[in-house]
Amino acid sequence: MSAPAEDLVQIVRQPIDPLALMNHVRGPGDGAVAGFDGCVRDNSTGRSTLYLEYEGYEPMARVKMLEICAQMREKFAIHRVAIVHRLGRLEIGETSVFIAVSAPHRGPAFEACRYAIDTLKRIVPIWKKEFFADGAVWADGEIPPSGNPGAPAGV
Amino acid sequence: MQVKVLFFGRLREIVGRAEESAEIAPGARIEDLFAGFRERHPELAPFRPSLVASRNQEFAPWSEPLAPGDEIAFLPPVSGG
Repeated sequence: MSAPAEDLVQIVRQPIDPLALMNHVRGPGDGAVAGFDGCVRDNSTGRSTLYLEYEGYEPMARVKMLEICAQMREKFAIHRVAIVHRLGRLEIGETSVFIAVSAPHRGPAFEACRYAIDTLKRIVPIWKKEFFADGAVWADGEIPPSGNPGAPAGV
Repeated sequence: MQVKVLFFGRLREIVGRAEESAEIAPGARIEDLFAGFRERHPELAPFRPSLVASRNQEFAPWSEPLAPGDEIAFLPPVSGG
């Protein structure tokens, strides 16, 4: 599957530039650009986080991110989408994922942006490991829907 | 027949590699492939209920039969974003 030429779907290992992505999706017909910045928090499950490491099944993650763009277009009156996820080691405060959506009107821009991050966190094969002073754990995740619609996970 | 198998997250740490090649019988299913790895790495067993499998980069049911050259991945609960 390929995105409309103007969408941007990437997996990177460098710092993300949110403003560049907001500007990438912005067009003359747009009255709104909504952005979601997913950043690294300094605490998790009651412990202080030192840093995170993200790992991904990159080709499949890109497929799923493109699927999310297609679903966004079906559900919302939007113009352009940018979804960029970073992998590797991330420090506190850094951006792990940025989503930008442009639209003629703000309602669809906000809703599509929300839908994008909520869906990404459910279906995109990326995992984060949290490093604390006294150890490290893979974050509790979400079990994506399996290949059998309606079947429970693990079937 | 030969298939490529990918491991991620905690599974990768248990198996010790991100990628393995597996030789399996014709007609084998994804479930059978996992069972083979579980025999060599018993630590994988408790993860089975929380895993989803993929075949050639699409989620697939555990009962799906394999074909030569398939790329199979065992995916822990995802935590991107």
